[in-house]
Amino acid sequence: MATVAEPLPVSPRRRKARAEAMTVGNLVLAHVWVGIAAFAVACILGVWQMWARSPLEAPANTAANYFRSVTLHGVSMAFVLTTFFIMGFGYFTSEAALRRPLPGLRFAWAAFWMGLIGVLMAALSVISGNASVLYTFYPPMTATVWFYIGLVLVVVGSWIWCLIMIVAMRQWKAANPGQPVPLAMFATVANAIMWLWTTAGVAIELLFQVIPAALGLNGMVDVGLSRTLFSWTLHAIVYFWLFPSYIAFYTMFPRAAGGRLYSDTMGRLAFILFLLYSLPVGLHHLFMDPEHSNGFKFIQMFLTALVSVPTLLTIFTITASAEVAGRMRGGTGTFGWIRALPWDRPMVLATGLAFVMLFFGGGGGLINMSYGMNAMVHNTSWVTAHFHLIFGGTVVIMYFAIAYAMWPRLTGRAYPSLKPLRTQLWLWFAGMMIMTLPWHYTGLQGQWRRVAAFDYSNPMIAAWGPWVIVSLLGGIMLAVSALMFVYNLAMLHRRGASAANSGPFHFAIAVHPPERIPASLNGFGLWNILVAVLMLVAYGYPIAQFFIDPPPQAVVHRLS
Amino acid sequence: MAKQPARRSDRSPAGAPAEQAAVDRSWRLYASTAVAAGILVAALIGILVIPAGQRENAGLSFYEAVCRALGMSPGSPAQAQPVSTATSLPVSQVSWDPEIMRILASGSTRRGAAIAAQTCAACHGDKGLAKLQFPALAGQTPEAIYKQLSDFQSGARVNPQMTPVAKALPVRDLANVAAYYAAESKSYTALGLRDFSGDVEIEKLAREGDSHRRIPACMSCHVNGVGGPIETPTITGQNADYIVAQLNAYASGTRKNDVYGRMRNIAAKLTPREREELARYFEGTL
Repeated sequence: MATVAEPLPVSPRRRKARAEAMTVGNLVLAHVWVGIAAFAVACILGVWQMWARSPLEAPANTAANYFRSVTLHGVSMAFVLTTFFIMGFGYFTSEAALRRPLPGLRFAWAAFWMGLIGVLMAALSVISGNASVLYTFYPPMTATVWFYIGLVLVVVGSWIWCLIMIVAMRQWKAANPGQPVPLAMFATVANAIMWLWTTAGVAIELLFQVIPAALGLNGMVDVGLSRTLFSWTLHAIVYFWLFPSYIAFYTMFPRAAGGRLYSDTMGRLAFILFLLYSLPVGLHHLFMDPEHSNGFKFIQMFLTALVSVPTLLTIFTITASAEVAGRMRGGTGTFGWIRALPWDRPMVLATGLAFVMLFFGGGGGLINMSYGMNAMVHNTSWVTAHFHLIFGGTVVIMYFAIAYAMWPRLTGRAYPSLKPLRTQLWLWFAGMMIMTLPWHYTGLQGQWRRVAAFDYSNPMIAAWGPWVIVSLLGGIMLAVSALMFVYNLAMLHRRGASAANSGPFHFAIAVHPPERIPASLNGFGLWNILVAVLMLVAYGYPIAQFFIDPPPQAVVHRLS
Repeated sequence: MAKQPARRSDRSPAGAPAEQAAVDRSWRLYASTAVAAGILVAALIGILVIPAGQRENAGLSFYEAVCRALGMSPGSPAQAQPVSTATSLPVSQVSWDPEIMRILASGSTRRGAAIAAQTCAACHGDKGLAKLQFPALAGQTPEAIYKQLSDFQSGARVNPQMTPVAKALPVRDLANVAAYYAAESKSYTALGLRDFSGDVEIEKLAREGDSHRRIPACMSCHVNGVGGPIETPTITGQNADYIVAQLNAYASGTRKNDVYGRMRNIAAKLTPREREELARYFEGTL
């Protein structure tokens, strides 16, 4: 990888780079702290929501408050935490992996402030009760237009980030002709390109359907079309959130484990496959919808199945990397290398726990994406359990590990002890399992999702009560762990400086560092064309049908 | 990429050596073939194989089955459903279609005021501020007023005084009257603006309902802007006598123009004392 052969910059350039690093460092810190603030608020709200759904008496428990809370929880987790964290991590990766100043630093700051203003607009809209539409854009119910404009600002900010990432890679390639782009940056740009494709769907929906409806410009809206456009975004957005976890698996975990990445090419392939197959698959969120035909639902189900390939490739590659590390550390036998891994390091521990949660969450996902089985679990708390395990489990626990890895570099300080970090990760894992496994069970029993309260006096559903209370306990553990995470990072910010962390950040090196790779594995021209073809096949007619034979529209229901 | 066919050899990464282009050509070929093969297999199974296998059960020709799989002809129901012979009692004929929404949105308040002064004011009071057993109208949503007028007209709700009045008015005038009371006379009323205070039990019933008896909170629908059914009336500040009379009528089943029997169901579960106390609570006189 690039980190091997890269010579250290010469002295005057180094001074300049360091001045630059300070600014980029602050940029990263600003992004990550905004994400973390939203995350902490959302965790507390999440506990209250579990409480409100349980048989126990929760304070301020009205349906209006519940949906307001769910909206704020979802928007904070899905849009604020993720977008800001990913942008911050992208800036960090670009600088650390390419060893070049970040292009367009001023634009990056502008994007940050724009996004922050957008977040505040959306948050105020929700808190004032004018945007209890949850975090999905499903008309005919529409929130106040400020809610949508706020979120548009966040998205536009993230587009600026995408362009900066793409430009950074192009500049590096121009300066290093024929050299393989460092894997961490290649993956970051894959995510940026995927995000540009991903947001196109929801952007069209907002611009042409939702915002005009929220403004009162049109009284009717084609909900089939808007659901379809949102589904375009809905699955790939999940992979946008997941990308940093996979970047950490490939480029941070092997080094933290004391070994090397088993295969650099496998990493590139996995990221390319994510780019290809996370987009033309959104109809699997609409299996029970009437506006699409079975043929196209099947095609997208088939393509969804293919998206499990990069995950399986990753599990293989990362497990192999772990084995390399374990054996280098003296582990022997079939499983002895597992015990030899340095589990006391947060990145290693988080990866192990993320894999366990990925196993359960991924298994549930395979059931969701299977047309027949989907009918059994559609719109039940099974689905909620699935995405909390994947998002709250695999994604967020790796965000923790990434933040823990970046922090000493960004603050120039060292952890006095890793124990509070490990405790926090274990507590998160335990809380997530305790919360979501009962959800899977009650989902199979038919418990609805997106419902404010349950009548536990009804003998048909009374038996859910104890399981919901168990979930609530898991939720409390998660909130405690979230606050511990904030505390751990904040304490490192406050502590005295340490000289131990002033060097450059190193990503993992492959067992066989790539020297020359095919251009297709070093850029995205070919893959963009293939994404376009896949999208045309998967979404061409399903979207065109709304214009060929316009269906009846629904009356817009404005909340403000 | 495709824009510059003249520079084939170095069209991939900026400044990549020429020999990489040769390695890359096979990559491009294999990747494109693999993606195309995936699409082809998916389409083959989803659009040809499955419809071919399932068409017989639905009594379709192969061509019809493929058209349905593509979404080019309606896909369900697969078999003609038997026509229902059950007769139902229509509780309400109102449907919130775009036509009605447009009429309500463009209701003429001036015309509405003229009709109101002529026909409504005698009972519903000047500016819709009725007393005693008549409902106050000022400040209700146009949808709420229109729903009741339309139900009187269709016979879904019966009242010896209101039925002939409503039957005499065309739909557009119903909308005009609704628009008048909703907008123009709103400033004369305190409907929806009373302070609540009262018995803890009754207040809890109004705000939170009673899950043990499966009674939802009154305020989950009967306050403006909470997202209940569009035709839900505002009841805060409404005359207590009128509310009690309606709750009793729902409970006994003499009034039945509530969609899905929601209010009949709820009212029947309330004790007579609770109905009276809720009515006084909402009037704001407790």
